[in-house]
Amino acid sequence: MTLLKVDAIETYLGQYHILQGVSFEAKKGEVTVLLGRNGAGKTTTLRSVMGLAPISDGVITYNNKPIHKLPTYKISNKGIGFVPEDQGIFNDLTVEENMKVAMKKKDDVTMERLEWILKLFPDLKTFWHKKGGYLSGGQKQMLSIARSYINSNDLLLIDEPSKGLAPIIVEKVMRSIQEMKEKTTVILVEQNFMMASMIGDRFYIIDDGKTVHSGDMKELKEDEQLKKQYLGIA
Amino acid sequence: MDVILGILINGLATGMLIFLLAAGLTLIFGLMDVLNFAHGALFLWGAYAGIWLYGQTESFILGILAAIAAGAIIGALLEKFIITPVYGNHVRQILITLGAMLVLGELVKVVWGPNLIQAQPPEWLKGSWEFGGLILIKYRLFIIAVGTVVFAGLLFLLNKTRLGMTVRAGVMNKEMVEALGINIKRVFLFVFLLGAAMAGLSGILLGPYSGVLYAEIGLEYGILAFIVVIIGGMGSVTGSAIAAILVGVLGAFAAYYVPDIAMAVNMLLMLIILIFRPQGLLGMKEAAKQ
Amino acid sequence: MSKTRFSPFTILLIVLGLFLAVFPFVNDSRTMLILFTQIFIFSIFAMSYNLLLGYTGIVSFGHAMFFGLGAYAIGICMKKLEPGWNGVLLAVLITVALCAVLSFLVGILTLRLKSHFFAMLTLAVAGLLMVTAEKWRSLTMGNDGFTFRVPDLLKDRISLYFIALVFMVLTYLLMRRFTFSPVGKVLVAIRENEQRVESLGYRVLNYKIIANVVAGTIAGFSGILYAVSLRFVNTSVFATEVTLDALLMTIIGGVGTLFGPILGAALIEIAQHGLMDLAKVHWIFERWVILFGTIFILVVMFFPKGIVGSALQWQFKRKNSQKATLDKKERSKAATH
Repeated sequence: MTLLKVDAIETYLGQYHILQGVSFEAKKGEVTVLLGRNGAGKTTTLRSVMGLAPISDGVITYNNKPIHKLPTYKISNKGIGFVPEDQGIFNDLTVEENMKVAMKKKDDVTMERLEWILKLFPDLKTFWHKKGGYLSGGQKQMLSIARSYINSNDLLLIDEPSKGLAPIIVEKVMRSIQEMKEKTTVILVEQNFMMASMIGDRFYIIDDGKTVHSGDMKELKEDEQLKKQYLGIA
Repeated sequence: MDVILGILINGLATGMLIFLLAAGLTLIFGLMDVLNFAHGALFLWGAYAGIWLYGQTESFILGILAAIAAGAIIGALLEKFIITPVYGNHVRQILITLGAMLVLGELVKVVWGPNLIQAQPPEWLKGSWEFGGLILIKYRLFIIAVGTVVFAGLLFLLNKTRLGMTVRAGVMNKEMVEALGINIKRVFLFVFLLGAAMAGLSGILLGPYSGVLYAEIGLEYGILAFIVVIIGGMGSVTGSAIAAILVGVLGAFAAYYVPDIAMAVNMLLMLIILIFRPQGLLGMKEAAKQ
Repeated sequence: MSKTRFSPFTILLIVLGLFLAVFPFVNDSRTMLILFTQIFIFSIFAMSYNLLLGYTGIVSFGHAMFFGLGAYAIGICMKKLEPGWNGVLLAVLITVALCAVLSFLVGILTLRLKSHFFAMLTLAVAGLLMVTAEKWRSLTMGNDGFTFRVPDLLKDRISLYFIALVFMVLTYLLMRRFTFSPVGKVLVAIRENEQRVESLGYRVLNYKIIANVVAGTIAGFSGILYAVSLRFVNTSVFATEVTLDALLMTIIGGVGTLFGPILGAALIEIAQHGLMDLAKVHWIFERWVILFGTIFILVVMFFPKGIVGSALQWQFKRKNSQKATLDKKERSKAATH
């Protein structure tokens, strides 16, 4: 079942025509990976879904309802979590406070989720009262993912979680996403093809602001030609 | 010794008044990146509306409520009609809020006349206590108490409540707050109203303290609050509290010992801060740069 | 359009210039003569302010400091020395030196910071100067100020009128020259998109400081003329109201346009003059700030380019649409042939 459908969206940032027709679908329970070179428009695509970079044309539907005219906070409240490229940690707030800002409810379900998350990321528990600014890059990434996951969101948009992290941490982060996959749908933007292919189900390749290719992750793994052409991987 | 203590208390009371005004300004700037040069007008309208109702009803408490209401109502109008249209453009914000300041300042004269307005503390705050030769004027202590309570309340709100955390989070990253499902515009409005209400409160407290009101106090105290916010660091409530007390106390001592330069003390203090620490005492470095 | 033909605006300027040149000889009202002189003087002041606000995007709340320095320089020179031309020359030199140094210092301190720091620092410096003028009684006579005598030529209302007029025209031409010069072009670019100018390798700060120094020095000149026209100076020359006047004139007339500040100065001076008379009829006219403040807010909100800027925009649009229809006609003609 299709949870999120992005249909031929166009987005301008200032005078620059960044997205010129991006389309993709995210199926419930799957990890959809957006691939592409630097500057292809992957980040803008996620920001457009969140309403942070409003689209000028096209349609975005979530559960078959259009959401592209809603303000960001309403999109979020539909059940979409967002982990931005820069993690968006509130540096002057403690880890606890970062989580509290995100927690929409304080009911048992949320508390259970919190417990589960802290088990997944024990670092967050250790630094619970530390300010976000003091965390390492990997810990920030974990906090950001935890924050997007604390509410019972049905969809997570995660922008390059491996960026700037040591390989061992990347693995940790990826494993956590894999575990979350059990409970939620994920759209992942990723440059690290190894990681993407490890957890991804379907892929879309974005190039120059357009979707140019899509398919099953397994197929892409074998298709050296495609990888070379769009991802620069030999 | 008594003299010094007396001046200190005097300065502290002035500092608290300025703090009430500056706290809103610094929050509004920190969260919304809005330079509200009309903040002094909220103070002015709070003072006039409050003192007016106090005079009509002879209830200082009602006067205080009226002042808070006046500040908040005008603040809401200001936010909606003056500031929102020029959101994100500093130069136009400065210009338009300055224009609003001028108009609101003159409108006070239309409503309450251009003459000085007298104000007295209520009976229960008149007079003073004496402790071993030290005379403590009740009304000044009252201002210090109100200021302290508001400061404590503000710190509690910002540090211990989810709303406060959201405000602080918004200061750092508005987009992320939105992406977490919070309507930042509502938070903006709340902060604006809070700041406006504090400005109104500060206005009426000034009335019986200085004894007279006139329309120019709006611009005068508005500028003073801006100086305090710059000294304390844009966006920092604690910084503003420290700076306000610094300005109040230094001003009181200067007025006693070197009256000739008393008026210039604040300006000099700001000059020093701008030269050596442009982000202010507790401000973040990036906040000052373009 | 051929080069020899003048644009309607240039013709208008020439007509206006001719009118102003003969005005003192056809008019025998002293009040009008003084009013016009005031307009010229404030035009100069507003033009200097416009250089900051309109061409560099800097908001100053203390532009009066230069105005006041000029006014006190001439006043003190005339009073302490002989009221002769040597004194005038000395006053001019002092004004230029003080204004240039002060604007340089203020600029280097705050122009690298967010815009409100400049606004606040200028406010503070103007405030400090005002306090100084109040307290340094031996030199300034404090709040009361003092009258002084000036050379006979400057005493004559008609010759003063022409001197102010010539200075205004010179300032206008200087502004024209300056804003069309390479430096001026960079300044406009800074206003439009500071980061891009910076990334093109220009030291934005230096250009802003240049603008600040030029604006400060010109403002000093207007202060000299102002004091000469009154033959009196007191602390009010440093008042925030003086800066606010320049702000109103620039915004209402047309920020970032050459002629805007002149038009704004004329409108506000005339309106103030007229409303002062009306104040005798009804007290509400004493509150003219409400009117100007409201206009000011509306202009900032809806016509950020002021009267002149909006007119230019409108003309530009009309020309373009004319051109477009012409093009269409030609194209349809070509199609039929």
